[in-house]
Amino acid sequence: MVTLDLAQISVRDANTAMRAAAAQGEDIELVNPDARHHLGVGLVAPVKVTIRGSAGYFCAGLSHGARFEIDSNVGWGVGDSLYDGSVVVGGNASAIAGVALRGGEVVVKGNIGSRAGQVMKAGTLLCCGNASFLAGYMMYGGRIILLGDSGERVGEDMSGGAIYVGGRVQSLGADAKLAEITPEEYADIYAFLAKYGIAFEGGLQKIVNAGSKLRYGVNEPVSRPLSYTVAEEGTYWNAKVAEDIHAKALIGRYRIRGYGAAKAAPHFNDIALKIDPERIHAASDALATVNLKTTLGDRNGAKPLELSMPVLIAPMSYGALSKSTKIALARASKLAGVVENTGEGGMLPEQRAEAGQLIYQCLSGRLGWNIHDMLKADGLEIYISQGAKPGLGGQLMAKKVTKELAAVRGIPEGIDLRSPSRHPDIMGADDLVIKVEEFREATGYAKPISIKMGAGRVRDDIKIAYKDGFDFVQLDGMQGSTGAASTEVLENMGIPTLAAIQEALEGLREIDAGDDMPIVLMGGVKDGVDAVKALALGASAVAMGTAALIAGGCISCMQCHVGNCVVGIATQDPEHEERYKIDVQAKAIARYLEAVRWQIATLTKALGHSDFRQLSRADLVALTPEAAAITGLPYDPDYHPVEHVLTEVA
Amino acid sequence: MCGIAGIFFKNAETNANLGRALVDMLDGCQHRGLDSTGFALYENTFKGLRLRFIVDDDSEATVARVKTALAQQGAALLSEKREGASFVVEVEYSGEIRPFAYAMEHAAKLVSIGSSLDIIKDVGTAHDLDGVYGIRSIAGSHGVGHVRLATESEVKPEAAHPFWATGFSDVAIVHNGQITNYWKMRRRLEARGFEFRTDNDSELIAVYLAEKLAQGETLEQALEQSVDDLDGVFSFLVSTKDGIGFAKDRLAAKPMVMFENDDLVAIASEEVSLNRLFPGRPLSTTEPAPGTFRTWSH
Repeated sequence: MVTLDLAQISVRDANTAMRAAAAQGEDIELVNPDARHHLGVGLVAPVKVTIRGSAGYFCAGLSHGARFEIDSNVGWGVGDSLYDGSVVVGGNASAIAGVALRGGEVVVKGNIGSRAGQVMKAGTLLCCGNASFLAGYMMYGGRIILLGDSGERVGEDMSGGAIYVGGRVQSLGADAKLAEITPEEYADIYAFLAKYGIAFEGGLQKIVNAGSKLRYGVNEPVSRPLSYTVAEEGTYWNAKVAEDIHAKALIGRYRIRGYGAAKAAPHFNDIALKIDPERIHAASDALATVNLKTTLGDRNGAKPLELSMPVLIAPMSYGALSKSTKIALARASKLAGVVENTGEGGMLPEQRAEAGQLIYQCLSGRLGWNIHDMLKADGLEIYISQGAKPGLGGQLMAKKVTKELAAVRGIPEGIDLRSPSRHPDIMGADDLVIKVEEFREATGYAKPISIKMGAGRVRDDIKIAYKDGFDFVQLDGMQGSTGAASTEVLENMGIPTLAAIQEALEGLREIDAGDDMPIVLMGGVKDGVDAVKALALGASAVAMGTAALIAGGCISCMQCHVGNCVVGIATQDPEHEERYKIDVQAKAIARYLEAVRWQIATLTKALGHSDFRQLSRADLVALTPEAAAITGLPYDPDYHPVEHVLTEVA
Repeated sequence: MCGIAGIFFKNAETNANLGRALVDMLDGCQHRGLDSTGFALYENTFKGLRLRFIVDDDSEATVARVKTALAQQGAALLSEKREGASFVVEVEYSGEIRPFAYAMEHAAKLVSIGSSLDIIKDVGTAHDLDGVYGIRSIAGSHGVGHVRLATESEVKPEAAHPFWATGFSDVAIVHNGQITNYWKMRRRLEARGFEFRTDNDSELIAVYLAEKLAQGETLEQALEQSVDDLDGVFSFLVSTKDGIGFAKDRLAAKPMVMFENDDLVAIASEEVSLNRLFPGRPLSTTEPAPGTFRTWSH
């Protein structure tokens, strides 16, 4: 056995030493822990770890296989995203004990704080004392056993799994109900308690999902809506407005659709490059002479992402998109030398294999989130919100939660899947910094950690991102798309992409942050011309989602949200997905990315630069007074878009 | 977006530990905010009233303005010193505190007025402040402290916590969280003649409590009502001449852990801060229930 003294060494050194000892099969004892955070985080080995005192936040989090015993108390999130193994706490546990459990067993001898077992997926959380409010909040599976009182609103919005209460059920949460317990369940629970030496022979009450939410009285009409991608001319009371009113008159609620904001707001088309068209003709050899290579993510010493050009694939989930589409995007990203992103739905093995570099995204529901895929990723990303629907969590109807998708996300098959609108352990900038540190500890400080944020209060949010030590920011404006959101949110929440980058840069200037935290701008970046404008405004790179999907066969049929995509992209229906030819579409996406590369290089050279980093605001003018007001660029409507010149050259 | 800490000694024998205890506790949770740090310390050594001001770059002019204003208010200067970013005076003054405070705030950035309270706050960490202000050697019966990560307002000494309940000698607060009905509450208080110096929502809590106390309510009554009146997520500590107290919102989104024995009460955002007082010893701690408040006094 190895003994480590936290009065002598740092948590980071202790975790490194624990990994080394565990690799040799040695059990570990930690003395003088004094409630420090992140103890044992990311440990993957079947060894015993004894903590002689209290531990802080995320004790044993993101671990697999170890048997932890803590003599006294633990802070927030004990056993966070535990894959398997056990954690026994001798004292009390603070908020969100057993958060996002993927398996294994967490046993707390004392009381537990609020929101215990939030978004847990499997395994067992046992509390021998009383729980605080919202135990089992939005849990997807597994079981919680509370031998004492339940706390208020137990089982709030749970989707699956079961909660057993030995004491008083103080109040049931929304969409939770009491259910019968079978003798087999009793036997199983008593056996579990006996295994941990806990004497309890009393009766229990069982709480499960009532299944009364997520059901609409009347479905939206099955007519194909007018496309949002076609600009609507004509009167105020046009066909689109009338269609919307008719639909709402039928269903009596908000409507849901895919794609992004359709209403007119200043966008890249409203600014122009100060370019002499003749120079575009002269720049035809730009690909060979303009430097487009860039790196992202080494601000804190991690191994950076290496990009052949300042372009990334935007985060899109397996779930919103079919597996075939995710594979095609991964393959195309590798062909083009850019970075693919998992989005919300966890990491597909095929996607990992096909992508050259892959960012792994962590969302509020922690769907699919686990230590093994974190270690396989090239970058980790904490999603706070997205441009299309800032502040809202996702929904996936039961019919889309197929067996394979459920396995990747770590949830029971066929449940109505709701994601919380916020992370269980990120209530502010102070918690976020502890979360970022957890991921760094779990992965040995080797991976860039980025934050994805929708454009709301960008000026404040960007300062938090900087101070919390993120390696880069993915900033998503209101023109960003989604697989499903209410039209009201799509059209009316968030600020335009142009305003977002402007506020971000001003915010960073206000705190003298310099330019060491790159911003990847997204939200309606449709080609290399938009990319050059974004780069000149101050972005370090751009990310493209919808453009990549259209390049790979999307015909804007507007069926994303119901999962009936006719070309097999935004669907989990095998018949529809069969229509999608991975190799054909991967090549098409890759060819489009090459066109984007050519556009960025040619325009950069035509503007007189040899490196895209030389692009600046001096290369831009605003074509409308509104765009000038947002960006602060000079208003000069005499400049013209360059797209037609590029077409001639090509 | 911050970390908070408070300590209350039950026996005067341990008062010598006040500064050191708060420096250690704030150092323990410094990861929650590296922009600025602050202390509200209750000493028993003031000759009259102590006033602390943040001085600008042109410090001589500020000091001159303060002295003129003190003379105009009929406050006799007993002592003065420059210390870090601040200018500290002790004065003999027997009039009403609130008009005095507002008059002095117009002369310079006033941090606090107290017969035993001294608020020391600046940009930097707990150890940085200790180096400049000698916090560890300050003795007293109780105090609260704060580490700040600035999100919405600027990083400057006067935007740091604690905030003094302007007009109320010896009342201060530290706060972790966000008050979402800030403007509604502020307009209501401004209509009743209260003045605000920053846009920081934590200042609102201090002024809110000052208004309740001005109406003759007890601190307990004021804290009880604050849980209903303030909207948002918050955990805050309040300190008075006699002791400390806390209030916590119903969502319990902002952490708070406490430890009590025969000698002291210690409260902090995280147990790691409490454990700094007792290295190597597991503590029997509790977390205040959501929507509750409590006070301790000598």
